[in-house]
Amino acid sequence: MQGLNYTFARSAEEAVAQFAGAGGSARYIAGGTNLYDLMKLGIERPAHLIDVSRIDGMDAIETDGEVLRFGGRALMADVAYAPVVRDEYPLLSQSLLKAASQQLRNMATVGGNLLQRTRCMYFRNGAGSSSMVGVYPCNKREPHSGCSAIGGVDRTQAVLGTSQACTAVAPGDWPVALMAMDATIETLGPQGARALPIAEFYRLPGDTPHSEFNLNPGELVTAITVRKTPAGRRSTYHKVRDRESYAFALASAAVAVEMEGATVRAARIALGGVATTPWRSSAAEAVVTGSTLTRELAIQAGRAAFADARSGKQNAFKIELGARVVADALIIAAERRA
Amino acid sequence: MPSQVFPEIARVDARDKVLGQALYGADINLPGMLYAMLVPATIAKGRVGELDVRRATETAGVVQVLSIGDFPTLRPEISFLGQPIALVVAETIEAAIEGAEAVTAVYEASPFVALMSSPGAHRVPAEGFSTGDVESAFQNAATIVEGTFETPTQHHNPMELFGTVAEWSGGRLTVYEGCQNVDAVKGALAKALNLSPDAVAVKSEHVGGGFGQKSPPKIQTALVAQAARLTRRPVKLVAPRGQVFHIANYRPRSIHNMRLAANAAGRLDAISYDVVQENIPDGGFRSTGYHEDIARLYAIENFRATAADVHIDRQMPRHTRGTHPFPAGFALESLIDEMAHKLGKDPVQFRLDHQAKKDIIAGQPLSPHFLNDCLTEGAKRFGWSKRVPEPGSMRLDDGTLVGFGVACGIFGASMSASEATLRVRANGTTRMISSGHEMGQGMLTAIANVITQGLDINPDRLEIQLGDTTRGPQIATVGERGTASCIPVALKAVHALRAKFEELAGSNPPAGNLHEQLARLKRPYIEVTATELAPGQDPSALKAFRSGGRAGAGPDYPGFTSMSYIAQFVEIHIDPMTRRIRMPRAVSIADIGRVVSPRTAKGQMYGGVVWGFSTALREETEVDPRFAGYLNDDLADYVIAVNADIGNIDVGLIDQPDPRINSVGVKGMGELVMLGTAPAIANAIYHATGKRIRKLPIRIEDVL
Ligand SMILES: Cc1cc2nc3c(=O)[nH]c(=O)nc-3n(C[C@H](O)[C@H](O)[C@H](O)COP(=O)(O)OP(=O)(O)OC[C@H]3O[C@@H](n4cnc5c(N)ncnc54)[C@H](O)[C@@H]3O)c2cc1C
Repeated sequence: MQGLNYTFARSAEEAVAQFAGAGGSARYIAGGTNLYDLMKLGIERPAHLIDVSRIDGMDAIETDGEVLRFGGRALMADVAYAPVVRDEYPLLSQSLLKAASQQLRNMATVGGNLLQRTRCMYFRNGAGSSSMVGVYPCNKREPHSGCSAIGGVDRTQAVLGTSQACTAVAPGDWPVALMAMDATIETLGPQGARALPIAEFYRLPGDTPHSEFNLNPGELVTAITVRKTPAGRRSTYHKVRDRESYAFALASAAVAVEMEGATVRAARIALGGVATTPWRSSAAEAVVTGSTLTRELAIQAGRAAFADARSGKQNAFKIELGARVVADALIIAAERRA
Repeated sequence: MPSQVFPEIARVDARDKVLGQALYGADINLPGMLYAMLVPATIAKGRVGELDVRRATETAGVVQVLSIGDFPTLRPEISFLGQPIALVVAETIEAAIEGAEAVTAVYEASPFVALMSSPGAHRVPAEGFSTGDVESAFQNAATIVEGTFETPTQHHNPMELFGTVAEWSGGRLTVYEGCQNVDAVKGALAKALNLSPDAVAVKSEHVGGGFGQKSPPKIQTALVAQAARLTRRPVKLVAPRGQVFHIANYRPRSIHNMRLAANAAGRLDAISYDVVQENIPDGGFRSTGYHEDIARLYAIENFRATAADVHIDRQMPRHTRGTHPFPAGFALESLIDEMAHKLGKDPVQFRLDHQAKKDIIAGQPLSPHFLNDCLTEGAKRFGWSKRVPEPGSMRLDDGTLVGFGVACGIFGASMSASEATLRVRANGTTRMISSGHEMGQGMLTAIANVITQGLDINPDRLEIQLGDTTRGPQIATVGERGTASCIPVALKAVHALRAKFEELAGSNPPAGNLHEQLARLKRPYIEVTATELAPGQDPSALKAFRSGGRAGAGPDYPGFTSMSYIAQFVEIHIDPMTRRIRMPRAVSIADIGRVVSPRTAKGQMYGGVVWGFSTALREETEVDPRFAGYLNDDLADYVIAVNADIGNIDVGLIDQPDPRINSVGVKGMGELVMLGTAPAIANAIYHATGKRIRKLPIRIEDVL
């Protein structure tokens, strides 16, 4: 572990200025639950950490107006338990509560969560840190070094959005729920403030899997907003994993529906654990929209979500599992009282 | 005939542990101490051509770098990925890590075999076993079931990592390290460092989980000691978990082909069994051991076993909790269930009908055993009679598939020669010098129970010393022999002390507890030393015990064989849509002979079910055959059961002494407790779904 500079920023502007002053090898740090991990693994080796976890007001959780607004450094636990989020947007609350552990959620921020990096075992274990045996080539970690997961142990790899260069899964649960809710990401960077839809925030791996976010160097996530909608109530975040808690998703679905009797008036469906980015499925939404929701139709929607899926040696089950998770989530969401 | 029943007492080390006052190897901090970090090889096989440690040496804070050629275990020949090629010693842990990361190596890599399925892998036959006439039993069989069963590579992953602190003083070495066999570590250190064994002390008073991982001496221990010798300062190494995966032992993958024959009367007649496992040449975990315990489980007269190894280029696999009877029992207990189903018999009754009559391996009687009591008690507590036999026939209202499963387990009751010194003082204190290691299993509590039941002493001021070579010789605490070895000798010491006191006090002893009595007799203390052997053991075993040699015996003793038994019942729920597999409840009942410490024994029983669940449905170490390294080498990716996975567990102990094995009638349980869970789960999954799954871990994709 090399020495580094560590500074605190009091305001978003100050953080951005510090970043510009520090040059390329700076990183923002919030809860540190992912960044410190990556530093220990030798994957991230920043020379300067800019702590944004004390920025004035950037932890605000505003639920009174037309939009829900979560400050970039608001804690996962605080957002999950905010009464309006908990009662009227179960999918948002659950996506946070089904992630990590209470201890981690007490440290980790909703902004940092958007930017956490993949759990692909080849990505994490090959950097050459003394604590691991660094041997596994990875295009995400070291551009053009090759992808070991393709043709390797690929049970947990993605089946949607993959490329010849990378099959790593986007790990976060919260971004999947945000994707279903068409959230907006507000940032402040050297070029000023902007807001971009979450659908434009994540990049497919393509030939450049190392570039994961449409975020410029030094750009700080200041807030996440979600337009209020009654669809939030009839929603769920359904997550299936290798154990009942404290694990990333094998397959998950964030689903919100607006019902008219037994008929689905509108549906929002996003997938996690199966794709290289948080994955919205308009194909699945189209299957159920305007129809009476039955078990069969729900499964049909799930299948539609995976129509373009491509599997490797051990992960084909994710296609079937993912379809069923979507189906189950649709049924759970529809049965919730509006 | 042992008759004493032991009451439940609290765990004597609970308070220290809760307060963080129990010190483990890595907790030791000494003045002037340096920190070390290993540098692992990044190839599986070949040679280190060049090793460049210049940048490491120049790293600020680095004091010493040991590299290839500086110590016998730092060899240029590489035989597994992660093999240490250097040790960097520095003023801080951060500098040691930075220095270790700065070491670069150029390798001459050779082809390697990573897995049993890798190209170039081949079978190396080992010794087999045969009794009765298996051939004709199968020829005359009315019903045959067979299957190929596979259990995965698994790492022990105790909470405690490998933590070592080494210190020299006046030519003498002291090492603090969590281990299950301090005397073996002492012997290995003396040899590696060319010292007289008298000059080496190893201290391991608390072990943060062993499970077999900490029984053999470790490659890094002598290296740390050498670093301390060269730097003339104490040195600490705590190997990170990623490295532990690559240097620790592990449970080898194994494949079991088993056939079971029943005659026209529906009685089991023969077993034909072939096993092959991954191993290294001369590995310490024998493929010939798989059949030994399971062959004693039921009355099946004809048994043939063949075994083989496939040599791989990884580090040595070794004993892991449950050892051979775990994979072998998974195969046998799955097939027994299959046979019962095929014959239309209830799987509990089918097992009851086949109670073992003798030990077919040693050809001699078994000491009294109570597997059938375990089965009957378990079935009653579980509500087995509510099981509807037809697979897939039990459902909850929401469509959840329900399965009930049962399976048994067996483990040899071995013992070691041992010694205990007990001193009661007039000042109110008592000291027991025992042997053994406290790994959380409850050894200290069991010994305390024997002493406080037998003597009127002050229980709060009882000190039990073990896991420390300076106190006396220490048994290897392996193969669930700890309690059976240390408790009878403790009881003997208690009796001897009482006799000595009575002799001293005469016919008119003064009033008060033992301390007060001694004070009134103006005796500062009395002390006795007792020794004990396993049944029929030659007294020379005591000599071996005192010099760090092999002092164990059993489970086959002259004239009889003693085994521990368990029966486990589980209920499995499978989600109708996503097929999530859950275990809302389990019942586990064991025959471990006399129960000496009810509280910690129950703790073992609970832990055994959790461990069994985890091996059945969660744990597998992932090896990429192109690299021969362990991919999921941390506790996020190596998925161990969490609290949310575990339903209600009801445990029970038969508490019948084995009158032949020792004066207390105590057998062992540390390994046994996890046996049976995995096949019970597989059998319950079959009952829920109609699908037989013959490999572990069973995962969601297997029932989708
Ligand atoms: C054992 C374990 C299990 C976990 N399980 C789950 C799980 O099941 N599901 C799940 O979703 N997550 C899981 N996580 C991940 C966890 O949710 C993330 O680590 C956490 O959300 C990251 O937030 P943080 O504030 O700690 O980010 P940090 O670690 O501080 O930062 C992460 C990244 O974001 C950047 N960053 C942070 N804040 C900002 C900002 N405001 N603007 C711009 N960049 C920023 C940092 O530079 C860094 O690159 C798990 C983590 C662990 C360690």
